[in-house]
Amino acid sequence: MMTPLTELQRDALQELMNISMGQAANALARLIDAKISLSIPKIVVVDASEFQQMFQSERYWFTRQSFLGSVKGEVLTLLARAGTETIGGLLDYPLPLDARSNEELLLELANILAGACLHGFSSQLGLPAKLSMPTMFSARQRDSDSFNWASTLLLEVEFQLEGTAFDSRIVICLAGPSVGVLLQQLNALLES
Amino acid sequence: MSIPVTIADDSLLSRKTVRKALPPDWDISLTEASNGHEALAAVAAGKAEVLFLDLTMPELDGFGVLRELHEHHAKTIVIVISADIQPEAQKIVDSLGAFRFLPKPLQADQLRQTLAELGLL
Repeated sequence: MMTPLTELQRDALQELMNISMGQAANALARLIDAKISLSIPKIVVVDASEFQQMFQSERYWFTRQSFLGSVKGEVLTLLARAGTETIGGLLDYPLPLDARSNEELLLELANILAGACLHGFSSQLGLPAKLSMPTMFSARQRDSDSFNWASTLLLEVEFQLEGTAFDSRIVICLAGPSVGVLLQQLNALLES
Repeated sequence: MSIPVTIADDSLLSRKTVRKALPPDWDISLTEASNGHEALAAVAAGKAEVLFLDLTMPELDGFGVLRELHEHHAKTIVIVISADIQPEAQKIVDSLGAFRFLPKPLQADQLRQTLAELGLL
């Protein structure tokens, strides 16, 4: 069972995520020359069933990529099915997207958004971590124990591409021992 | 006489970061606001000759504050400190009369340089 975050820790994590998502949105906005709205990040501790519910939605494609380093975990990216054509067009993909270019596009988007998010987050905390390449996964095919994020810390940010139906959510899941490492750095930051 | 300065940001950490970046010998009276309404209230009460303004805030965001100040030709000097660093956000901020756009994470020397340019130090 995880210790709940203090108000100060939650605030600090939220602000760090806010800065990270700003960098991620900027990376994408410059690439496709569009404006991305940012929401206030959510920091939540969820249990296994809540976590699994996230992947029941038909609204999204899902990608996952793991990271290793001073903290370990996984970044999940949810990409709206609606609107991928629009982004594909902005990135000069031939339309309509076939299955292969659709997957290529999704992996590219996931990598830009999740990469900038994780980088912003880990560099501000001085916790370097290396992110692997994303892979697609389907909630249906997924076997139930491929995730070990039974009860852990989720850092979630949401991007909305203005004027389109596209939105994306990035979820950073931290492995149990890494939560402690994170909180230690966070406390050091708060006490400085 | 000390200069009335307000820091408007919903994050405690972020307000602290700005506070710590201010020159220690700068003679100010400091007010803190955690959303746009509080920021406007501070301006109305004469507590914000200089306003450090975040963009992403609950209730009323930083863009809303800028619009309001712009419409009322407020004399407040606004320095936006934001995590939303997209070119479009910077453009809007400029068009609404903010003096400067500083990206988060805030660099203390950038902030001091901005204050020096304003002749406030």
